[in-house]
Amino acid sequence: MVKASSSRLSSVLSGCADTIVAQATANGSGALAIIRFSGPEIQAVAERLCPRLSVARPREAQLVALLGRDGREIDRGVCTPYAAPRSFTGEDMLEAVVHGSPWVVEEVIATSVSLGARRAVPGEFTQRAVANGKMDLVQAEGVNELVRAETRWQARLAREQMHGSLSGRISPLREKITGLRARIEASLDFVDQGVVLSDEELRGALGECIGAVRGLLASFVVGERVREGARVVIVGPPNSGKSTLFNALLARERAIVAPCPGTTRDVLEAGLDMGGVPVVLVDTAGVRSTEDIVEAEGVRRAEAAAAGADLVVLLRSADSPRETVELWGVEKDRILEVISKSDLLEVAPTGEDVMTASCVAEGGLAELREAIERIVLAPLQAHDGNVAINRRHKEALSRAQEHLERSLLAPREVAAEDVREAGEALEELLGLIDTEAVLDAVFASFCLGK
Amino acid sequence: MAGARMGASVAVVTLHLETIGQMPCNPSIGGIGKGHLVAEIDALGGVQGWAADRTGIHFRLLNASRGPAVWGPRAQCDKDRYATIMRRLLLGTRGIDLIEGEATDLVVGGKAVCGVVLADGRRLKAGAVVLTTGTFLGAVLHTGEDRRAGGRFGERPSIGMGRSWVGAGLELRRFKTGTPPRIHRDSVDFARLEEQVGDERPRGFSWRTTGVRNYTPCWVARTPPQVQAIIEENLERSPLFAGQIEGVGPRYCPSIEDKIVRFPHHKEHTVFVEPETRAGNSIYLNGLSTSLPEDVQVAVVRAVPGLERAQFLRYGYAVEYDVVAPRQVGFDLAAEAVPGLYLAGQLLGTSGYEEAAGLGLMAGINAAASVLGKEGARVDRTEGYIGVLIDDVVTRDHREPYRMFTSRAENRLMLGVDSARERLMVAGVRLGLVPERVFHVEQCRWEARRQAITQLEATQLNPNRETVEMVLGMTGVEVRSPTTWAGILRRQDIDIRRVGDTLSGLAHLAPEDREVVIGRLKYRGYIERQEREQSRLVRLRGVKIPAGFGFRSISGLSREIMEEMERTRPRTLSEAAQLAGMTPAALALVAGRLATRGQGGKP
Repeated sequence: MVKASSSRLSSVLSGCADTIVAQATANGSGALAIIRFSGPEIQAVAERLCPRLSVARPREAQLVALLGRDGREIDRGVCTPYAAPRSFTGEDMLEAVVHGSPWVVEEVIATSVSLGARRAVPGEFTQRAVANGKMDLVQAEGVNELVRAETRWQARLAREQMHGSLSGRISPLREKITGLRARIEASLDFVDQGVVLSDEELRGALGECIGAVRGLLASFVVGERVREGARVVIVGPPNSGKSTLFNALLARERAIVAPCPGTTRDVLEAGLDMGGVPVVLVDTAGVRSTEDIVEAEGVRRAEAAAAGADLVVLLRSADSPRETVELWGVEKDRILEVISKSDLLEVAPTGEDVMTASCVAEGGLAELREAIERIVLAPLQAHDGNVAINRRHKEALSRAQEHLERSLLAPREVAAEDVREAGEALEELLGLIDTEAVLDAVFASFCLGK
Repeated sequence: MAGARMGASVAVVTLHLETIGQMPCNPSIGGIGKGHLVAEIDALGGVQGWAADRTGIHFRLLNASRGPAVWGPRAQCDKDRYATIMRRLLLGTRGIDLIEGEATDLVVGGKAVCGVVLADGRRLKAGAVVLTTGTFLGAVLHTGEDRRAGGRFGERPSIGMGRSWVGAGLELRRFKTGTPPRIHRDSVDFARLEEQVGDERPRGFSWRTTGVRNYTPCWVARTPPQVQAIIEENLERSPLFAGQIEGVGPRYCPSIEDKIVRFPHHKEHTVFVEPETRAGNSIYLNGLSTSLPEDVQVAVVRAVPGLERAQFLRYGYAVEYDVVAPRQVGFDLAAEAVPGLYLAGQLLGTSGYEEAAGLGLMAGINAAASVLGKEGARVDRTEGYIGVLIDDVVTRDHREPYRMFTSRAENRLMLGVDSARERLMVAGVRLGLVPERVFHVEQCRWEARRQAITQLEATQLNPNRETVEMVLGMTGVEVRSPTTWAGILRRQDIDIRRVGDTLSGLAHLAPEDREVVIGRLKYRGYIERQEREQSRLVRLRGVKIPAGFGFRSISGLSREIMEEMERTRPRTLSEAAQLAGMTPAALALVAGRLATRGQGGKP
């Protein structure tokens, strides 16, 4: 991989963009593989690589032979040409679907490189789409996130973002801030010509912008939950059935289960998809005072895991319901209390906040799963759902918010500077200002061919 | 002026000796942005501010309620006295010869300019030539359908020069400006106008000035809605809209017909009614610039309440003139295509006396320096508005007459009129244009201000009863938590006058210095951030655009900006950023394309 660095900006290159090529599908053998090309020399490459292809018929899938450097057939594949600017990158493009042999793919790419194309670096296709105004940076991130989505919610939010749900809220805000700045400047530079912007009006407009920024920032919890998922930690006294529950929720025998207390000594983690959100389920050692050094460390780790949890499932056993664990520093609303081994329970508990479940008799397990899911998905329900910012967005929006709030209190000529900087934070967010670092950060995480 | 005082032998060639110092437009000096220029010209040793102080009849500090960065000192001057004093100054300066005549051609020996030819055949030899043709070059005056050659009211244009420059490789461009009618003082019903008095404590521009005073108020009138109808009915008789005028006029100083057409929802427009002299009869109608036919001008003016009986002394007119397209001079204002030729003033596409004076001063200094073998002067755009002005003229393509605004300066908070001398006077001293003793007196003053700031930052205020009562009594502010005097004074709701007389850290300063100190206290945190921003800009400036870079291959760019870049071929991102019409979005596309271009590591 070519390291994207600042030196590339100053490299001396001729004329217009070159033509890039990359495999768009995953490496290794498969039924089919897709190879993508983008750039002005598509036609020249195609004339030699697949002479039967008619680039004059864009968007038409054509079954043609692909020829190697020696003129012999590498494979036959379905090739679709696209004409600029009506393509993903906004340039001339070609997509070749060939048989998914690593040799075939490499041969096609090597041939096109010999014909003047260049192997693309990760994210370069999308980067070109941004550079050519086909999408903004936030949308490009959506593309990347969709490619990487592993759950329903991740895919949904990524798709919405790619289609502009977030850009569609940031862009008007940016325009509003730009307009406001123009009015502030006019009130300073043209005061002698009767241009007036009252303090009240300015404060009102700033307040609206701040409200909009706050609304977007509030969606971070959604984004974080969908992208990062939730940590659900099972905690309880020894032998309360934590590992049994852990296995039951995972639907596989991940943890060792034994009737003797203290079987689980370390923290065990496993991932699962709950309601379209990635969940890391954590099994812990039973919490009790102990002289055993190893077990004591396990208890310490259990308590640490509980402290960092999005949700603690606090178990106590039906056969000894008074034996429980005090969790310090974990808020009540992050705790789900459960009485396990409910098949042993003679009288149902009266407290409303306590659930019961039995992994042996399957009783209550489905309800418990639902309850966990409900809590994990709660941030998503609280929001309209089609916008969820990520950390980069949060950082830029927080900066915008900080500047806007500061401008409320500042002398007007200083407020002008703050409003400008707030606007720049949003421009950076949309990729409208080249701060190369931003671009690098965003594109660094792209996989090849996208 | 500056050239002669630096020791050069200067010949000033003008069409008419009696029009030196003539103010064809509003006889006012300064304003927001422009006042900054005057203060800087003065700090460097120029004379415009001094002349305005000497002849001012109405002084006002615009934006006085805001901080020092955007204060805009403005003086309404006595037009006749201003011209007289400037003429006398030129006549009385050793080393200046005044020559009446029309310079029609340059004498070029080898490649460099070595003199000028006058219309009567005289040849003047010179090591450097500074051209300042104002609005006279190839000038045409318009009033309604009437169209005549002329550079100003009653004056003929200068035609010969234009041809020789185009020959010398300079690209010309056509601009337009205009002026409103003048009416007789006795025909104005002042009682029906809003009076605008000068400042209670008027301040002058110049370190040469000890005191100034107001002699007259100005007045404000408003155009009624029917003016819209009058103008709309006669629009086809307007040379501006009938297509007779091709020159591009300033958007920020539109004619009244422009305003009506562009802002039809504005039912009234402000007219500043300003005397042109202290005792004379001519009244200038600032805001009613027009080139409509005379009968329409009369109808418009007489529709304004208070001006119903207006008697015209002169009708408004528009003037079209040639300017040298931007980016053909270097930072010393020497024409790149013609060594030894310096350009200044409206010829470079600026508008206004202040912009012209700033360019004139710098061109004069650099031309004289080149002849005398001395070091010239350059003001960076981070150092002052003169720097912003010259940087824009040298690197940016402006398509309308260029006027200074404070929003053109990236680091506005550091470039207030209050700090002009601190920033630039040392250069004036070096050039021999400012006496050293003046500089020393000023230095003491700056030091006193700096000390006051340090002291106020250091004086702790703890919320004990004694302190709370003292601060409450002096400022009306209740101290609730430990702070400093600086912290109190930074608040927006402090009445400076009330505190200034009694507070020990401030009372010893002159009233305007107290305001400066408080203003700077308010800017402090922001200035630090701005300095960081500055270093970011410097980094961005460095990014190079390779020669032969294909701007046309960047899709998503507007056609205008693409053509602009193809035409001008910026060499760095900062040059690209400064193109007229450049947007952050377009710049990002260029940067993005530069980025994708480099990735292959190909040669």
